[in-house]
Formats: sequence, structure tokens, C-alpha cells
Amino acid sequence: MSSIPHAPAAGHDHGHDDHAHHPTGVMRWITTTNHKDIGTLYLWFSFTMFMVGGMMALTIRAELFQPGLQIVEPEFFNSLTTMHGLIMIFGAIMPAAVGFANWMIPMMIGAPDMAFARMNNWSFWLLPPAAILLITSFFMPGGAPGSGWTMYPPLSTEQGMGMDLTIFAVHIMGASSIMGSINIITTLLNLRAPGMTLMKMPLFCWTWLITAYLLIAVMPVLAGAVTMLLTDRHFGTSFFNAAGGGDPVLFQHVFWFFGHPEVYILILPAFGIISQIIPVFSRKPLFGYASMVYATAGIAILSFLVWAHHMFTTGLPTAGLLFYMYVTMLIAVPTGVKVFNWVATMWKGSLTFETPMLFAIGFLFLFTLGGFTGLVLAMMPVDVQLQDTYYVVAHFHYVMVAGSLFAFFGGVYYWIPKWTGTMYSETLGEIHFWMSFIFFNITFFPMHFLGLAGMPRRIPDYAQQFADWNMVASIGAFGFGLSQLVFLYAVIKCIRGDGAKAPAKPWEGAHTLEWTLPSPPPYHTFETPPEVR
Amino acid sequence: MDNRGNEASRGRNLRTAAILAGIAVVFFVGVFAARIFGAGGGGLVVLGFAVVIFLVIAIGRNLRSKE
Repeated sequence: MSSIPHAPAAGHDHGHDDHAHHPTGVMRWITTTNHKDIGTLYLWFSFTMFMVGGMMALTIRAELFQPGLQIVEPEFFNSLTTMHGLIMIFGAIMPAAVGFANWMIPMMIGAPDMAFARMNNWSFWLLPPAAILLITSFFMPGGAPGSGWTMYPPLSTEQGMGMDLTIFAVHIMGASSIMGSINIITTLLNLRAPGMTLMKMPLFCWTWLITAYLLIAVMPVLAGAVTMLLTDRHFGTSFFNAAGGGDPVLFQHVFWFFGHPEVYILILPAFGIISQIIPVFSRKPLFGYASMVYATAGIAILSFLVWAHHMFTTGLPTAGLLFYMYVTMLIAVPTGVKVFNWVATMWKGSLTFETPMLFAIGFLFLFTLGGFTGLVLAMMPVDVQLQDTYYVVAHFHYVMVAGSLFAFFGGVYYWIPKWTGTMYSETLGEIHFWMSFIFFNITFFPMHFLGLAGMPRRIPDYAQQFADWNMVASIGAFGFGLSQLVFLYAVIKCIRGDGAKAPAKPWEGAHTLEWTLPSPPPYHTFETPPEVR
Repeated sequence: MDNRGNEASRGRNLRTAAILAGIAVVFFVGVFAARIFGAGGGGLVVLGFAVVIFLVIAIGRNLRSKE
């Protein structure tokens, strides 16, 4: 259950933990093994990459503002779409989720830190070199890869040195993710406070436990796929080279065996955050805690069995097409359980609409819309028509942006009083939400129309008939980008202490262990385990 | 469950990590093995079911041990 009953002793003043002996200045951040510091590093890294990927998105939208080639060359446009995808997925969303995990999991389960604190430091510090490799690929001969984030051969086997840098970056980020996942699972299984059984863990911890298992299973598969790509490029193998007896479609199978669970890796931690926020601002326990856990596990299991729905147009046998179509539709069942439980939690609750709740409700509306368009795409005959159109772009942005990103924004507003000891500005938060909500829909809703009308994705120029909605989408994109500056300002205000002082528990409906600590929490927490009833 | 800083807990953490790292290695090697030994699609299906079984056993064991 997300609301954890605990003895008063669990909430006692942990002032004895105040001996915050740690390096200061730059060395604090480079050498830190503290989960809170590392969580902060992850979150700032993620926001930086979000801005970098966002600038690429705005360049893409500026080019697409009207038909014809205006700003960038077509090859560079392809590189932008590729790097935008890679950076947003591996550089922004995944590290943000890990940042939340680092900050919150030890405090939610009453652990003093992560199980492997030094490895935690190493997991983070692998990321900046990987990001530098990705961005440096733009300056290599031939430029950054233009194969799309999926890196399909034969295009990816024939591109310049930028692809090698990208493959190396993917390897490094994969290693980082696997180490992070091992750390999270070990922490959750071995370091929970006495009395906190698995079924008493907050749902955010449950979603991360399952996500970490997914990561351990699929990141090595991606590593294998890009290693084969690398050996095809430089060592004369023919894994994906048809001329040498290989099969380019094999790459698609291997990639999507990673890629589809990856979608859930990106969204499950967001589900966890939403499951923390909605009960607090509804002032009710989460409806159907156990069914939420089983639904999360169900989604994770099914995610391994649906990869070929990304490949409906590659000539799979009919039996395969039907299998993947039906199993894909089956994922709507556990997902529907979750949406139902969130709505049921709000039903007859004493709702208030602070910024975290606004983002949670925004998530609920928009993610559900993205889920429905996913069901549309799951139907094989429809997908054959919509494959590689803007309908697909609209669908996954509703899931990734309005899903993961909105949940992470909600999570930041929910926990930032705890992190900084300062309440965020509710006015700024609400401005940020409404601007994001409105401009997000202006950007991505028209893409459904464009896709249904047949506009292909990943093209820098398009027919005149698509001009109007592209112009609308581009205006929305710049508005969405601008609204993130409001978020940055709101966060910096909190960090600078410019706001009301946050109490230990600023939300009256919050009952998890982190709220028993002062705001901000001491550098070392729960060195004495709390009692959980 | 909670254990802080003693040798036994470190050993337990390391064992958990070693098992998890082993799974990662099996998946990495499995991708190549599936290709080298043919039936790549079949290999992936087997790996997929291995994951399913692993998740069921791992979560089930923990749930049972806490009851």
C-alpha cells in the first residue's frame, strides 16, 4: 500500500544524522556516494539533456513550419531526428527516472543509502561521457547518424564515424543502466526497514523494482544488437548484411525485443509517481494497491511478447501478425486496471488541485489518449496504413511526453519541498502546467490529422496539403519549449530558498516514510532503521 | 530485509548483485548464441519466456518469504 502505517518512532527526529561530513565544492559532486547527491546529479543531467534534445526538436519544427527546405539540409535533419530520439530516451527520460529512484527509494523504504553506493557514483558518471560522445558525433566526418533512433541496418552499417560514437555511447549508457538497476533491486530486496514487507512498499518502489528487472533483461539485448552492428561495420561479419548471408530484419527483431520493454521502462516509474500523487491529493488510500502491483507485473511480462507489432509491414507470417496484434491489445487490460484504480482513488475523495495533482490529472487524460491511439496502431490492418506516419509520432509523444514527462514534472513539484526545504511557487507551477498542457496539445494533436492524411515521419519537406497543421504544430512546439523555462525558474527559486519554508510534511494526505524526515532531509538519513507496522 | 553494514548483509547484497549481473550476461551472450545457432526468432521467444518465468519465480519467492 502506498500509505504506510508506522510507529511514531519512525518519525522521530533524525537529528543525530546531522553530521553532514562530506566534501564541498566540485569534489562533493564528483566523489559523492550519497544517494541524494547522486539523485540530484541525475535530475540535473536529465534536465540538461532535455534542453539539448528540446533544441533539436525546435530546429526540426522550425524546418517543418512550412513546406520546402528553409533552415537545415536534409541529411542534417535526419541526424536531428535521430539524436533527438536517442537523447530524449537515453539522456533525458531514463536518467530522470533513475534520479527519482536515487532520491526517493532509500527514503521511502527507510534505508540509509543505496546498497552499492560507490557503484551508484560510477553509474552516474558514465552518463556525461556517453552524452558527449552522442553530441560529438555531429562533428565527425559524415555527421551524426541519420538512421533514426532505431539504427536499422543497412543504413546504419553504411553511415560515417558518427555511428561508431553512437554505438559506443549506447554501450556506455547500457552499462550505466544495468549497474543502476542492480543497485535498485538489491536495495529494494535487502535494505527495507524492519516490518516493511514487499506488499507494504510504496507503489513507486514497486514500479521501479519491476522496471529494474526489465532493464537487466533488455539492455544486454540492445548491447548485443549494436555490438553485432559494430562488427558488421568494421570486422567483416554479416549478421545483418544480406550480401553475406545475414538478415537486416533480424536487427529489427533484436532491437524491438529491447525497444518495446523500453517503452515500459520509460513509463512504469511514471506510473509509480502518479500512484504516489493521486492518493495524497485525494486524501484517500490508493484504490486496489495489490491489483496495481499485479497490473504492473502484467504489463512488464506482456511487454516481452509484443515486439513484432513494430514490424507489421516487414512480411511476418499471418499467424505471427495475429499473435502480436492480440497480445498487444491484451496490454490494454492491466493498463486499464491502473487507469481505473487512479480514477477510483479520486472518486469521492477530498480533491485539491495543487500543481502535482494537476500534472497527475493531465497525465491521466493525455496518457489515456496516447494509450487509445496505441490500440488503434495495434490493429494490424490499420497499422499497415499508418506505419511511419505522423500518427505514430503523435501516439508515442502522447505516451512519452504527456505520460513520462508530465509525471516527472508532477514528481518534482510533489517532492521539491522535501528536497530543498522550500515550497515551490504555486502560481508558477500552475502557469507551467497550463502552458505545458495547452501547448503540448497544440503541438501533437494535429499530428494525428497529418498522419491520417498520410504525412510520413522523418522528412524535412512535405506536400502543400500538410502545411496548415504543420504550422500549428510548430507554433505549439515553441510554446511548449518556452513553458519549460517557467519550470526552470520555479525550481531555481526553490533551490535558492526563495519561498515559504517547507514543513516536514507539506501535504496532509502524505503517509510514506520520506515525510517523517525534516525538509530538507539531513545528509545521512535512516542510519537507525525506522519501525514500520 | 533491513541489514546495515555487517558482513552478512554485504555478502547478501553481493550475491543478489552477482545473480542479477549473471542474468544480464546470459541475455547479452544469448543474443549472439541465438544468431550463431540459427533460429534467431526462436531464440528470442525462448529468452522471452525465460524472462517471464524468472519474474514469476523471483517475485513469487519474495512474496512467499515475507508472509
